[in-house]
Amino acid sequence: MRPILLQGHERALTQIKYNRDGDIIFSTAKDQHICAWFAHNGERLGTYHGHQGALWTVDVDPTSTLIASGAADNTVRLWDIRSGKCLKVWEFNTAVKRVEFNEDGSQLLAVTEKRMGFLGTIVVVNINLDPEGEQDDEKVLTIECEESKATVAGWSFMNKYIIAGHEDGTVSQYDAKTGEQLDNTQVHEMDAQITDIQWSPDRTYFITASKDKSAKLINAADLEVMKTYVSDTPLNSASITPKKDYVILGGGQAAMDVTTTSARQGKFEARFYHKIFEEEIGRVRGHFGPLNTVAVDPQGKGYASGGEDGYVRVHQFDKGYFDFEYEVERQYRNQSQL
Amino acid sequence: EDADRGASADLAVVEERRRLLDEWLAWRSRVEQDVREEREARGLPADPIAGLIKETDESENQVIE
Repeated sequence: MRPILLQGHERALTQIKYNRDGDIIFSTAKDQHICAWFAHNGERLGTYHGHQGALWTVDVDPTSTLIASGAADNTVRLWDIRSGKCLKVWEFNTAVKRVEFNEDGSQLLAVTEKRMGFLGTIVVVNINLDPEGEQDDEKVLTIECEESKATVAGWSFMNKYIIAGHEDGTVSQYDAKTGEQLDNTQVHEMDAQITDIQWSPDRTYFITASKDKSAKLINAADLEVMKTYVSDTPLNSASITPKKDYVILGGGQAAMDVTTTSARQGKFEARFYHKIFEEEIGRVRGHFGPLNTVAVDPQGKGYASGGEDGYVRVHQFDKGYFDFEYEVERQYRNQSQL
Repeated sequence: EDADRGASADLAVVEERRRLLDEWLAWRSRVEQDVREEREARGLPADPIAGLIKETDESENQVIE
């Protein structure tokens, strides 16, 4: 797996997203602009300028027409991918740490930071997927997180639930229409922040990453923890691979938090686990600092990681990746072919 | 004797994986069916974006005509 190195950011990466076809990668970093790249050769397609603070998050709608971004300048911005034009700015009281489109691109959620005088919130706005059309000002739903602020959030299948991961290691399930909290479960260690939530292709289950050095696979309908992936370093990101039953975890301890060089070595690697058997099956090194974000191509052809070192590394999966299987899996495959 | 012990340990591991795989596949087929039925009942398309992509193609065709 020889990676393509994308050099376009001057600061730490914060989020990477592939579009649905897997041919374009969007990246955000603390350097205040969004980059778009061609996944197959790493050529830069464009940059989106306008935010006045560190960018924390980006998402692309399911038709690959618009992207949304959230930043430390307390705004969410909506952009036309093709023209690079900023179509809309929504203002908030605090920084926006995560945005996500729902499954049909009709709504966008934004997770806002908690700060003196302001609770952390999850806010929903309506989206018009026509780049020539009007965008609505109104915040159609605001969920206030009174117990513990949300750090990440996303939409389940059928836009039925909003699922949030919190600073205290819990996961919440809200009714996506009314905002009513239906469930809240301690899935990670108490007060171990949940740093990422990413979905299965059909949005019926998701994976969390946490500072408690583990990732969990969770059923969106009942918040049952189905699988746990144990690592040896605080995790910043986790992603589920389509086609193959793997998950990819990224993290690492910042240099300033580590006392010896040896403890630091080997920590800045993407880790592959078998999704069903929970066993680690491989690692990919390359970054010079913690992995802040990992994303998988929805078509299953590769993945990308973004580091505290300011680089994006794009990997195309090779034959060995696709050929690898456990004996049990081989048997099942043969049986179903008979 | 050591080899035997190793073999039975391997067998236990394989059996455990088989159990996990069975359990996972059963859950997936249950969930996929539930979601399919619920989408149908709510009048939602099987693929959430099927309609969106088609609309774009149609408008492009109209422009060409």
